[in-house]
Amino acid sequence: MIHVEEVAKSFQGKEILRNVSFNADRGEVVGLLGPNGAGKTTIIRLLNGVISADSGTIRVDGLDPHTNGNDIRKIVGVVTESAGLYPEMSGRENLLFFAKLYNCEDRSRIEWLLELLGLDKYSDKPVGVYSTGMKKRLAIAKAVLHDPALLFLDEPTNGLDPDGIQDVIGYLRTLNKEQGTTILICSHILYQLEEVCSSYVFLEKGRIIERGTLSELDARYVDEVILHVDTGLRTSDNEAAGYSYTVVGENKLQFRLPSKGHIPELLRSILSESWVHSAQIMNNNLEALYFEVRRRSDES
Amino acid sequence: MNRKHVMAIASKDMKLIWKSSKVWIGLIILPLIMGVIIPAAAILVGRSISMEDMNGGMGLLKLIDEIPFEGVGGPLTIHQKLISFIVNFMLPPLFMLIPVTNAMMIAVNSFVGEKESRTLESLMLAPLSIRDLFAGKLLASFIPSYAAALGSFLLCGIVVNLLAYPLFQHLVFPSMNWIVLMLWVIPAFTLTAILFSVLVSARSKSFQEAQQVAGVIVLPIVGLLIGQATGVLLISLAIMGIIGAVLMGVNLGLLAWIAKMNQRDQLFESQIQ
Repeated sequence: MIHVEEVAKSFQGKEILRNVSFNADRGEVVGLLGPNGAGKTTIIRLLNGVISADSGTIRVDGLDPHTNGNDIRKIVGVVTESAGLYPEMSGRENLLFFAKLYNCEDRSRIEWLLELLGLDKYSDKPVGVYSTGMKKRLAIAKAVLHDPALLFLDEPTNGLDPDGIQDVIGYLRTLNKEQGTTILICSHILYQLEEVCSSYVFLEKGRIIERGTLSELDARYVDEVILHVDTGLRTSDNEAAGYSYTVVGENKLQFRLPSKGHIPELLRSILSESWVHSAQIMNNNLEALYFEVRRRSDES
Repeated sequence: MNRKHVMAIASKDMKLIWKSSKVWIGLIILPLIMGVIIPAAAILVGRSISMEDMNGGMGLLKLIDEIPFEGVGGPLTIHQKLISFIVNFMLPPLFMLIPVTNAMMIAVNSFVGEKESRTLESLMLAPLSIRDLFAGKLLASFIPSYAAALGSFLLCGIVVNLLAYPLFQHLVFPSMNWIVLMLWVIPAFTLTAILFSVLVSARSKSFQEAQQVAGVIVLPIVGLLIGQATGVLLISLAIMGIIGAVLMGVNLGLLAWIAKMNQRDQLFESQIQ
């Protein structure tokens, strides 16, 4: 669905992207990770054909964004970092206007989206008085108005409260599962991405430093397992089953194990002497991997 | 050209005019001042002023006396000549300020407003051609400005005829000058104001900045007004025909310039950070 190969882009003499290559298959949800200024928004704009690459190849659904931009824009929905809505117009008026541009003036769908995203009670109020979260939800409604095959989301959950984040992530997951929508999502809030993304692209200073699924990244970057065990165990030598531990909280011990395969043996040993309420691997979640990928990239 | 897209942009922009007081006030106030209050005041003064009071304006009286007013039948009194001069020579440049100022304000608000509210990015990301975007905005600036001028023309006609009738015993408005002004010069100048404002807006970061720069578009009207009052350039049908033709030429040049902005990627990079 998305093919990006050796793409470079400069703006006013400043290099924004360098040799960027990645692919996204149809139905995939790809997380684009990187700090501010890494080039995430530039990639979304390039894929949409609103800016042109200096070199390299870009294809979206087999189309070149530079020459077939409007055909791509017809099948793509975008949520930009700034919601891009008319503050003087009401939520409903905004959706009706964009529905005309996307040739999808289905009023019942507009009403359904307003209700789905919890905006039906405020749909006649001017967007200027909406909270940041409400604007973001309206921007998502605008992006999916025409039932796009591809969604580009730039920080879609910025400004949302925890309930709003859960709702949006849940909606995106449903959209992907039920309609096979391909999604490219940029977000700083990494734990949200873990719930919805099937693979990740790590971007730093305009170049891709890593890509892969969570399990692939886990295999590449997790050399030892850091395990937190909630238990009543205490030993005089700070060891259990031959593994040393440090106390990191009340009833919480931290072990460093060579691999996940050692976890059952350790837990069996602890359970034979005390209770265990929970055990959690601390360094194989997306956030830990993100910082490890960046740390190793900085070192190399 | 996608007519549905053009109309969507135009109707959205026209709706937004009524939500921006800095724009719609001009659409109401200017026609009232230029089309009703000033013509009424000028005719009332022209009717009642005595020639002794005009001592300071002997040059003007001499000028008025020399103008061959046609089509009103019989020799005119100096009061009739004065009012004819006001209606046919002094009011038209003032009247031109109505559509030109409004068109400038609407066009600047429309383009810079999209940048300020960051909605231009949403439009560029939509399957909307740049040509349709410009066409919609041009239409949204032209229709209300010209409508305000037409409305004002009607009001002005009523006021002028009502107030001038006791002196002339027949209708004095509109003369052929006014017809040509309304159908040829004003549409051309309104278009010039819009196209000029589009170019200025593309290079401005804020509404105020664009408004100040685009404001120079009214300078030719001020020049015309001075030309009329001093007799340097009296508007005849031929001169109005030439002015309209020159403006249309300028419009073609401005359109060609704006057409260079038709590249989406260049427009996006120059307008959106």
